[in-house]
Amino acid sequence: METENILASLGESIDRLSSAASLLERTVAWLEQREPVTAGAVEKMTAAVESQSELLQRERVLLQKLEAAEQQIAELRAQGSRSAMARQTLPASTTQLLAKQGLSTLDSIQAGALDAALTGLSLEQRIAVKAQLLRAGMLTD
Amino acid sequence: MRLEAMAITMPEVADHPNRIPFEGVLTVVDEASTRPPSGARGHRVILTRDAARAALPSLLGMAVDFAPKWDGHDARAKCGIITEADVIGNQLRVHGYLFGRDFPEVVQQLEQSISGNMGMSYELADAHVADMRADVWTLTRATFTGAAILLREKAAYRNTSFRLSASRCRSRVPQRDRATGKFAAGSVRRFETQHFGQIQRRKEA
Repeated sequence: METENILASLGESIDRLSSAASLLERTVAWLEQREPVTAGAVEKMTAAVESQSELLQRERVLLQKLEAAEQQIAELRAQGSRSAMARQTLPASTTQLLAKQGLSTLDSIQAGALDAALTGLSLEQRIAVKAQLLRAGMLTD
Repeated sequence: MRLEAMAITMPEVADHPNRIPFEGVLTVVDEASTRPPSGARGHRVILTRDAARAALPSLLGMAVDFAPKWDGHDARAKCGIITEADVIGNQLRVHGYLFGRDFPEVVQQLEQSISGNMGMSYELADAHVADMRADVWTLTRATFTGAAILLREKAAYRNTSFRLSASRCRSRVPQRDRATGKFAAGSVRRFETQHFGQIQRRKEA
Protein backbone atom coordinates (compact mmCIF):
# COMPACT_ATOMS: atom_id res chain seq x y z
CA MET A 1 0.00 0.00 0.00
CA GLU A 2 2.73 2.43 0.98
CA THR A 3 4.73 1.51 -2.09
CA GLU A 4 1.67 2.27 -4.21
CA ASN A 5 1.39 5.68 -2.57
CA ILE A 6 5.03 6.38 -3.24
CA LEU A 7 4.69 5.35 -6.85
CA ALA A 8 1.57 7.50 -7.23
CA SER A 9 3.34 10.52 -5.83
CA LEU A 10 6.29 9.79 -8.12
CA GLY A 11 3.92 9.80 -11.07
CA GLU A 12 2.46 13.08 -9.91
CA SER A 13 5.91 14.64 -9.73
CA ILE A 14 6.77 13.38 -13.20
CA ASP A 15 3.56 14.89 -14.58
CA ARG A 16 4.40 18.27 -13.03
CA LEU A 17 7.92 18.18 -14.44
CA SER A 18 6.60 17.19 -17.85
CA SER A 19 4.14 20.05 -17.97
CA ALA A 20 6.86 22.51 -16.88
CA ALA A 21 9.15 21.21 -19.63
CA SER A 22 6.48 21.59 -22.30
CA LEU A 23 5.80 25.13 -21.08
CA LEU A 24 9.48 25.96 -21.44
CA GLU A 25 9.55 24.46 -24.94
CA ARG A 26 6.59 26.60 -25.95
CA THR A 27 8.33 29.70 -24.56
CA VAL A 28 11.50 28.97 -26.52
CA ALA A 29 9.49 28.43 -29.72
CA TRP A 30 7.68 31.72 -29.16
CA LEU A 31 10.94 33.58 -28.65
CA GLU A 32 12.43 32.06 -31.81
CA GLN A 33 9.34 33.03 -33.78
CA ARG A 34 9.56 36.62 -32.55
CA GLU A 35 13.23 37.10 -33.41
CA PRO A 36 14.71 35.09 -36.27
CA VAL A 37 18.04 33.65 -35.25
CA THR A 38 20.13 34.60 -38.26
CA ALA A 39 18.84 35.65 -41.67
CA GLY A 40 15.83 37.85 -42.08
CA ALA A 41 14.09 40.29 -44.35
CA VAL A 42 13.15 43.93 -44.05
CA GLU A 43 10.02 45.00 -45.84
CA LYS A 44 11.06 48.60 -46.43
CA MET A 45 14.27 50.54 -46.02
CA THR A 46 15.34 54.01 -47.08
CA ALA A 47 18.91 55.27 -46.96
CA ALA A 48 18.00 58.47 -45.18
CA VAL A 49 18.65 59.07 -41.52
CA GLU A 50 15.68 58.50 -39.28
CA SER A 51 13.54 61.47 -38.44
CA GLN A 52 12.73 62.38 -34.82
CA SER A 53 9.28 60.80 -35.03
CA GLU A 54 10.74 57.57 -36.42
CA LEU A 55 13.28 57.46 -33.60
CA LEU A 56 10.52 57.96 -31.03
CA GLN A 57 8.43 55.22 -32.61
CA ARG A 58 11.38 52.83 -32.57
CA GLU A 59 12.00 53.70 -28.93
CA ARG A 60 8.36 52.89 -28.13
CA VAL A 61 8.63 49.51 -29.85
CA LEU A 62 11.83 48.70 -27.97
CA LEU A 63 10.23 49.69 -24.66
CA GLN A 64 7.29 47.41 -25.38
CA LYS A 65 9.67 44.56 -26.15
CA LEU A 66 11.60 45.25 -22.96
CA GLU A 67 8.43 45.22 -20.87
CA ALA A 68 7.32 41.93 -22.42
CA ALA A 69 10.73 40.40 -21.78
CA GLU A 70 10.77 41.62 -18.15
CA GLN A 71 7.30 40.22 -17.58
CA GLN A 72 8.35 36.89 -18.99
CA ILE A 73 11.45 36.82 -16.82
CA ALA A 74 9.32 37.55 -13.75
CA GLU A 75 6.91 34.76 -14.67
CA LEU A 76 9.74 32.29 -15.18
CA ARG A 77 11.29 33.31 -11.86
CA ALA A 78 7.98 32.83 -10.09
CA GLN A 79 7.60 29.41 -11.69
CA GLY A 80 11.12 28.53 -10.63
CA SER A 81 10.55 29.49 -7.01
CA ARG A 82 7.22 27.63 -6.96
CA SER A 83 8.85 24.45 -8.22
CA ALA A 84 11.68 24.89 -5.69
CA MET A 85 9.10 25.13 -2.92
CA ALA A 86 7.30 22.08 -4.28
CA ARG A 87 10.53 20.14 -4.29
CA GLN A 88 10.91 20.69 -0.53
CA THR A 89 7.60 18.91 0.14
CA LEU A 90 7.82 15.17 0.59
CA PRO A 91 4.78 12.94 0.11
CA ALA A 92 3.11 11.97 3.38
CA SER A 93 3.87 8.28 2.86
CA THR A 94 7.60 8.99 2.56
CA THR A 95 7.54 11.20 5.66
CA GLN A 96 5.80 8.44 7.58
CA LEU A 97 8.33 5.88 6.45
CA LEU A 98 11.18 8.13 7.52
CA ALA A 99 9.51 8.88 10.84
CA LYS A 100 9.25 5.18 11.58
CA GLN A 101 12.99 4.99 11.05
CA GLY A 102 13.60 7.87 13.46
CA LEU A 103 13.98 10.64 10.90
CA SER A 104 11.13 13.04 11.77
CA THR A 105 12.56 16.49 10.97
CA LEU A 106 15.14 16.94 8.30
CA ASP A 107 16.27 19.56 5.85
CA SER A 108 18.87 17.38 4.25
CA ILE A 109 20.47 14.06 4.95
CA GLN A 110 23.65 12.37 3.77
CA ALA A 111 23.36 9.20 1.71
CA GLY A 112 25.44 7.14 4.17
CA ALA A 113 23.35 8.17 7.20
CA LEU A 114 20.15 7.44 5.25
CA ASP A 115 21.30 3.92 4.38
CA ALA A 116 21.90 3.25 8.06
CA ALA A 117 18.49 4.60 9.02
CA LEU A 118 16.62 2.64 6.35
CA THR A 119 18.06 -0.76 7.08
CA GLY A 120 14.65 -1.90 8.39
CA LEU A 121 12.94 -1.26 5.04
CA SER A 122 12.78 -3.49 2.02
CA LEU A 123 14.98 -2.82 -0.97
CA GLU A 124 12.06 -1.43 -3.00
CA GLN A 125 11.01 0.88 -0.19
CA ARG A 126 14.56 2.16 0.24
CA ILE A 127 14.83 2.91 -3.47
CA ALA A 128 11.49 4.75 -3.46
CA VAL A 129 12.36 6.84 -0.40
CA LYS A 130 15.75 7.77 -1.81
CA ALA A 131 14.15 8.75 -5.11
CA GLN A 132 11.71 11.04 -3.31
CA LEU A 133 14.45 12.62 -1.24
CA LEU A 134 16.55 13.17 -4.36
CA ARG A 135 13.67 14.87 -6.15
CA ALA A 136 13.04 17.04 -3.12
CA GLY A 137 16.69 18.04 -3.10
CA MET A 138 17.13 16.79 0.45
CA LEU A 139 19.68 14.08 -0.23
CA THR A 140 23.32 15.05 -0.41
CA ASP A 141 26.39 12.98 -1.23
CA MET B 1 37.93 49.09 -62.61
CA ARG B 2 34.79 47.04 -62.94
CA LEU B 3 31.72 48.47 -64.64
CA GLU B 4 28.20 47.14 -64.59
CA ALA B 5 25.66 49.28 -66.38
CA MET B 6 22.07 49.19 -67.44
CA ALA B 7 19.96 51.79 -69.16
CA ILE B 8 16.61 52.44 -70.75
CA THR B 9 16.95 53.86 -74.23
CA MET B 10 14.86 56.99 -74.36
CA PRO B 11 13.88 58.67 -77.60
CA GLU B 12 15.77 61.90 -78.09
CA VAL B 13 13.66 65.02 -78.12
CA ALA B 14 15.48 68.23 -78.77
CA ASP B 15 15.09 70.75 -75.96
CA HIS B 16 12.41 68.80 -74.21
CA PRO B 17 11.00 71.31 -71.73
CA ASN B 18 10.15 68.71 -69.12
CA ARG B 19 13.43 66.79 -69.16
CA ILE B 20 16.24 68.13 -67.05
CA PRO B 21 19.03 65.58 -66.94
CA PHE B 22 20.71 64.72 -63.69
CA GLU B 23 23.42 62.43 -62.45
CA GLY B 24 24.32 61.23 -59.03
CA VAL B 25 25.84 58.62 -56.78
CA LEU B 26 22.93 56.78 -55.23
CA THR B 27 24.96 54.71 -52.80
CA VAL B 28 28.22 52.89 -52.32
CA VAL B 29 28.51 49.12 -52.42
CA ASP B 30 30.47 46.78 -50.17
CA GLU B 31 30.84 49.58 -47.61
CA ALA B 32 28.94 50.18 -44.41
CA SER B 33 26.58 53.12 -44.38
CA THR B 34 27.78 56.10 -42.40
CA ARG B 35 24.61 56.02 -40.31
CA PRO B 36 21.71 53.61 -39.88
CA PRO B 37 19.18 53.91 -42.66
CA SER B 38 15.54 54.34 -41.80
CA GLY B 39 13.94 50.93 -41.35
CA ALA B 40 17.19 49.19 -40.37
CA ARG B 41 16.30 49.20 -36.66
CA GLY B 42 19.37 51.19 -35.74
CA HIS B 43 21.83 49.01 -37.67
CA ARG B 44 24.21 50.37 -40.24
CA VAL B 45 24.01 48.39 -43.47
CA ILE B 46 26.24 47.12 -46.25
CA LEU B 47 24.74 46.68 -49.69
CA THR B 48 26.88 44.04 -51.36
CA ARG B 49 28.09 44.56 -54.89
CA ASP B 50 26.32 41.39 -56.04
CA ALA B 51 23.05 42.51 -54.48
CA ALA B 52 23.34 45.96 -56.06
CA ARG B 53 24.20 44.50 -59.44
CA ALA B 54 21.33 42.05 -59.31
CA ALA B 55 18.97 44.86 -58.33
CA LEU B 56 19.97 47.27 -61.14
CA PRO B 57 17.02 46.26 -63.39
CA SER B 58 14.62 47.14 -60.59
CA LEU B 59 16.09 50.64 -60.38
CA LEU B 60 15.48 51.60 -64.01
CA GLY B 61 12.26 53.46 -64.53
CA MET B 62 11.86 54.16 -60.84
CA ALA B 63 11.16 57.69 -59.76
CA VAL B 64 13.19 60.16 -57.79
CA ASP B 65 11.29 62.04 -55.13
CA PHE B 66 11.95 64.88 -52.73
CA ALA B 67 10.73 66.30 -49.45
CA PRO B 68 10.06 70.03 -49.09
CA LYS B 69 12.95 70.44 -46.65
CA TRP B 70 15.20 68.03 -48.55
CA ASP B 71 15.55 65.97 -45.41
CA GLY B 72 14.06 62.65 -46.40
CA HIS B 73 11.76 60.75 -48.69
CA ASP B 74 8.29 61.50 -49.91
CA ALA B 75 7.46 58.60 -52.19
CA ARG B 76 4.42 60.44 -53.53
CA ALA B 77 6.31 63.56 -54.55
CA LYS B 78 7.95 62.12 -57.63
CA CYS B 79 9.80 64.74 -59.62
CA GLY B 80 11.86 62.66 -62.02
CA ILE B 81 12.89 59.28 -63.34
CA ILE B 82 16.01 57.12 -63.35
CA THR B 83 17.00 55.92 -66.80
CA GLU B 84 20.48 54.61 -66.26
CA ALA B 85 22.34 52.91 -63.44
CA ASP B 86 25.96 51.86 -63.24
CA VAL B 87 28.10 50.19 -60.62
CA ILE B 88 31.48 51.79 -61.12
CA GLY B 89 34.11 50.88 -58.60
CA ASN B 90 32.23 51.00 -55.33
CA GLN B 91 29.72 53.60 -56.48
CA LEU B 92 26.24 53.03 -57.78
CA ARG B 93 25.82 55.92 -60.20
CA VAL B 94 22.52 56.92 -61.70
CA HIS B 95 21.40 59.18 -64.51
CA GLY B 96 17.94 60.36 -65.35
CA TYR B 97 15.62 63.31 -65.79
CA LEU B 98 13.79 65.68 -63.56
CA PHE B 99 10.41 66.89 -64.71
CA GLY B 100 11.59 70.46 -65.01
CA ARG B 101 8.36 71.97 -66.29
CA ASP B 102 6.24 70.26 -63.64
CA PHE B 103 8.64 71.05 -60.80
CA PRO B 104 10.33 74.37 -61.68
CA GLU B 105 10.88 75.21 -58.01
CA VAL B 106 12.73 71.92 -57.50
CA VAL B 107 15.03 72.61 -60.42
CA GLN B 108 15.55 76.18 -59.25
CA GLN B 109 16.45 75.11 -55.73
CA LEU B 110 18.81 72.44 -57.01
CA GLU B 111 20.48 74.93 -59.35
CA GLN B 112 20.94 77.33 -56.46
CA SER B 113 22.18 74.73 -53.98
CA ILE B 114 25.81 74.83 -52.93
CA SER B 115 27.93 72.40 -54.89
CA GLY B 116 28.37 69.14 -53.02
CA ASN B 117 25.48 69.78 -50.66
CA MET B 118 22.99 67.45 -52.27
CA GLY B 119 22.98 63.68 -52.10
CA MET B 120 20.75 60.73 -52.79
CA SER B 121 19.06 57.94 -50.89
CA TYR B 122 17.70 54.66 -52.16
CA GLU B 123 14.37 53.09 -51.32
CA LEU B 124 14.45 49.32 -50.94
CA ALA B 125 11.80 46.67 -50.60
CA ASP B 126 12.22 43.09 -49.38
CA ALA B 127 15.82 43.57 -48.35
CA HIS B 128 17.36 40.29 -47.22
CA VAL B 129 19.71 40.55 -44.27
CA ALA B 130 22.37 37.86 -43.90
CA ASP B 131 22.44 38.04 -40.11
CA MET B 132 19.89 40.06 -38.22
CA ARG B 133 22.03 39.86 -35.06
CA ALA B 134 25.08 41.43 -36.64
CA ASP B 135 25.97 44.99 -35.67
CA VAL B 136 26.18 45.94 -39.32
CA TRP B 137 23.53 44.33 -41.48
CA THR B 138 24.67 42.87 -44.80
CA LEU B 139 22.04 43.15 -47.50
CA THR B 140 22.34 40.22 -49.84
CA ARG B 141 19.25 40.83 -51.94
CA ALA B 142 16.89 43.74 -52.45
CA THR B 143 14.58 45.47 -54.87
CA PHE B 144 14.94 49.17 -55.59
CA THR B 145 11.61 50.95 -55.47
CA GLY B 146 12.87 54.50 -55.97
CA ALA B 147 15.27 57.14 -54.76
CA ALA B 148 15.19 60.51 -53.10
CA ILE B 149 17.15 63.68 -53.65
CA LEU B 150 18.07 65.13 -50.29
CA LEU B 151 20.68 67.03 -48.38
CA ARG B 152 23.83 64.94 -48.20
CA GLU B 153 23.92 65.32 -44.44
CA LYS B 154 20.51 63.64 -44.24
CA ALA B 155 21.64 60.62 -46.25
CA ALA B 156 22.69 57.45 -44.48
CA TYR B 157 25.69 57.28 -46.82
CA ARG B 158 28.00 60.25 -46.65
CA ASN B 159 29.49 59.69 -50.09
CA THR B 160 26.41 60.16 -52.21
CA SER B 161 25.96 63.06 -54.57
CA PHE B 162 23.44 64.68 -56.87
CA ARG B 163 23.75 67.33 -59.53
CA LEU B 164 21.96 68.55 -62.59
CA SER B 165 23.90 67.57 -65.68
CA ALA B 166 25.68 70.34 -67.50
CA SER B 167 24.72 69.02 -70.92
CA ARG B 168 21.50 67.53 -72.11
CA CYS B 169 23.21 64.69 -73.87
CA ARG B 170 20.03 62.78 -74.62
CA SER B 171 18.03 65.72 -75.90
CA ARG B 172 20.73 67.48 -77.80
CA VAL B 173 19.77 70.16 -80.29
CA PRO B 174 21.02 69.21 -83.76
CA GLN B 175 23.94 71.40 -84.76
CA ARG B 176 24.27 72.70 -88.32
CA ASP B 177 27.62 73.14 -89.89
CA ARG B 178 27.84 76.84 -90.74
CA ALA B 179 29.93 76.23 -93.86
CA THR B 180 27.90 73.43 -95.45
CA GLY B 181 24.53 73.97 -93.81
CA LYS B 182 24.32 70.26 -93.04
CA PHE B 183 23.77 68.76 -89.63
CA ALA B 184 26.99 68.02 -87.78
CA ALA B 185 27.99 64.39 -87.43
CA GLY B 186 26.54 62.73 -84.35
CA SER B 187 24.14 65.54 -83.57
CA VAL B 188 21.17 63.83 -85.15
CA ARG B 189 19.82 60.36 -84.55
CA ARG B 190 16.96 59.00 -86.56
CA PHE B 191 14.09 57.72 -84.48
CA GLU B 192 13.71 54.63 -86.71
CA THR B 193 17.03 53.33 -85.46
CA GLN B 194 16.08 53.63 -81.83
CA HIS B 195 14.47 51.01 -79.68
CA PHE B 196 11.95 52.69 -77.48
CA GLY B 197 11.59 51.16 -74.09
CA GLN B 198 14.22 48.56 -74.75
CA ILE B 199 16.68 47.88 -71.99
CA GLN B 200 20.28 47.89 -73.03
CA ARG B 201 22.88 46.18 -70.98
CA ARG B 202 26.59 46.47 -71.27
CA LYS B 203 29.35 44.93 -69.29
CA GLU B 204 32.98 45.82 -69.14
CA ALA B 205 35.47 44.08 -66.96
